[in-house]
Amino acid sequence: MTEWEYHPSPGIDASMTETLRNFPREPTMLAYAVRSIAALILRGWMRIYHRMQVEGREHFPQSGSYVLVCNHTSHLDTMCLLYSVPLRQIHRTFPAAAVDYFFSSLPRSAVSAILINALPFDRKVKGAESLTVCSELLKNDGNVLIIFPEGTRTTTGEMARFRSGIGRLVVGTDLPVVPCYLSGGVDAWPKGKIFPRPRRLRLRVGKPRTFGHLEKNADSVKAICSELEKHVTKLDRSSA
Amino acid sequence: MSIDAALNSSIFLNYLVIVGILLAVAGILLTIMSLLGKNVSSAWSSYRGWLVMAPIVMGTIFLGRSATIIGITLLAIFGFREFARATGLYTDWLLTGTAYIGIALLGIVAQAIDPRLHGLGWYGMFMALPVYVIGAILLVPILRNRSKGQLQQVALAIVGFVYFGWMFSHLGFLANTPHAYGYLLYLIFAVEINDIAAFTCGKLFGRHKLRENISPNKTLEGSLGAVAISMLIPWLVSFSFPHFDPLHLILAGLIVGVGGQLGDLVISYIKRDIGIKDMGSVIRGHGGILDRVDSMIFVVPIFFHMVRWFHGSA
Repeated sequence: MTEWEYHPSPGIDASMTETLRNFPREPTMLAYAVRSIAALILRGWMRIYHRMQVEGREHFPQSGSYVLVCNHTSHLDTMCLLYSVPLRQIHRTFPAAAVDYFFSSLPRSAVSAILINALPFDRKVKGAESLTVCSELLKNDGNVLIIFPEGTRTTTGEMARFRSGIGRLVVGTDLPVVPCYLSGGVDAWPKGKIFPRPRRLRLRVGKPRTFGHLEKNADSVKAICSELEKHVTKLDRSSA
Repeated sequence: MSIDAALNSSIFLNYLVIVGILLAVAGILLTIMSLLGKNVSSAWSSYRGWLVMAPIVMGTIFLGRSATIIGITLLAIFGFREFARATGLYTDWLLTGTAYIGIALLGIVAQAIDPRLHGLGWYGMFMALPVYVIGAILLVPILRNRSKGQLQQVALAIVGFVYFGWMFSHLGFLANTPHAYGYLLYLIFAVEINDIAAFTCGKLFGRHKLRENISPNKTLEGSLGAVAISMLIPWLVSFSFPHFDPLHLILAGLIVGVGGQLGDLVISYIKRDIGIKDMGSVIRGHGGILDRVDSMIFVVPIFFHMVRWFHGSA
């Protein structure tokens, strides 16, 4: 009789915190179930409490991986973007989230990893490493990466300058970058408040752009950042 | 079982005091030993694990019947998950999903009211459910129209469901009995004491290996010592079951003393066959959930049916 072969999960010896922080994440049925339920609740909440509107949904690429960039006004932004992507893509949508904040404790890591499906992004020390993780992720078909290029939430309501990460990620590749602008976020959930307020939110989705024609150098990175910045701001203007 | 009942139950309060005293004494002993310069770091980490687990267990039982059944069902689900991750079954979502649903149904049936007899917990369905769940697991390869490797997957799923799901879930069903506090707290307490006794007696008197191909650190002396101590426990905590005859007390001790170590050995050979050290690493200093409740799984259903045999609806 031939012996059975077992293939234990590679993460079997990892502690709970490590399991949550590791990326790429092992697909777990229980996490998928919890995340799906959370996504349904989120959809109801956004629609009823925030009367959420999404304009330009048709700009989301129908196939292949892409990057969503958005202005960052509050924690609601991630929710709004998760709300706007199709439900079937919810397990393949990864908001890049700061390790130092979203993965700082076990409960936070659990919420980030299981409910939000966040990609742990090290914005302080290992930025380049985190970017490699992102581009590996985007090499697979059908993944969505959510990035807030400002790197932190705004306190004033003014959009900050885009940091170079997004440029370095997409320069010289054919990855579509979809610019989005969320309005109403500052009002709905100001930094420091515990609970969001029932204000109207509106997300405008712009046309996707690619930067395959640019050469990989610092100037192109700068150009990409300022171009995306311009497009995101324009989405704001067009609402006025 | 309810919060009110727990506050008025001398059994629950007695155990609360016993656990409190034991944790305090163990803490003091460990402090003294580390002051004496002994290396007790691994003992400390497992002690810290106890400091977290004890309040969770006592708190869940304090909250009442539903909380206890839900808690034990969750433990069974996550225990099965560890087994699935260890054996590689976890990549088969249909089979693991069927087993998860089966375990959840066990919890629901334990929570339900018997539709005919109107007692707490639907006993008949609890005992019949494995028939349906095993049937469903066996159907999966047919649904998929696949035979390659299916016997192994199906066999793993059935062992996982029956052993880690169904047999362990009997503990939750005990919450439906009039003597729930006594049974549950005795089982949890005595099984853990049995574990500690086997370890300590083995360290002190261990000469002969018990089962060297399965668990090389276990000794015959440790095992016999643990059985002896476990036989004493029911007499010491006889307030847990005032309705027990001496025969029942002896059986209760024997089931925990022997069953506890068998459960331990079962997990040991499973781990050894797979080639892993721990089933997981959820509880720091203890390994996975299954490394902690392993001794329980064998004991619970046998104890359950012992009391049911002698005391009717248990």
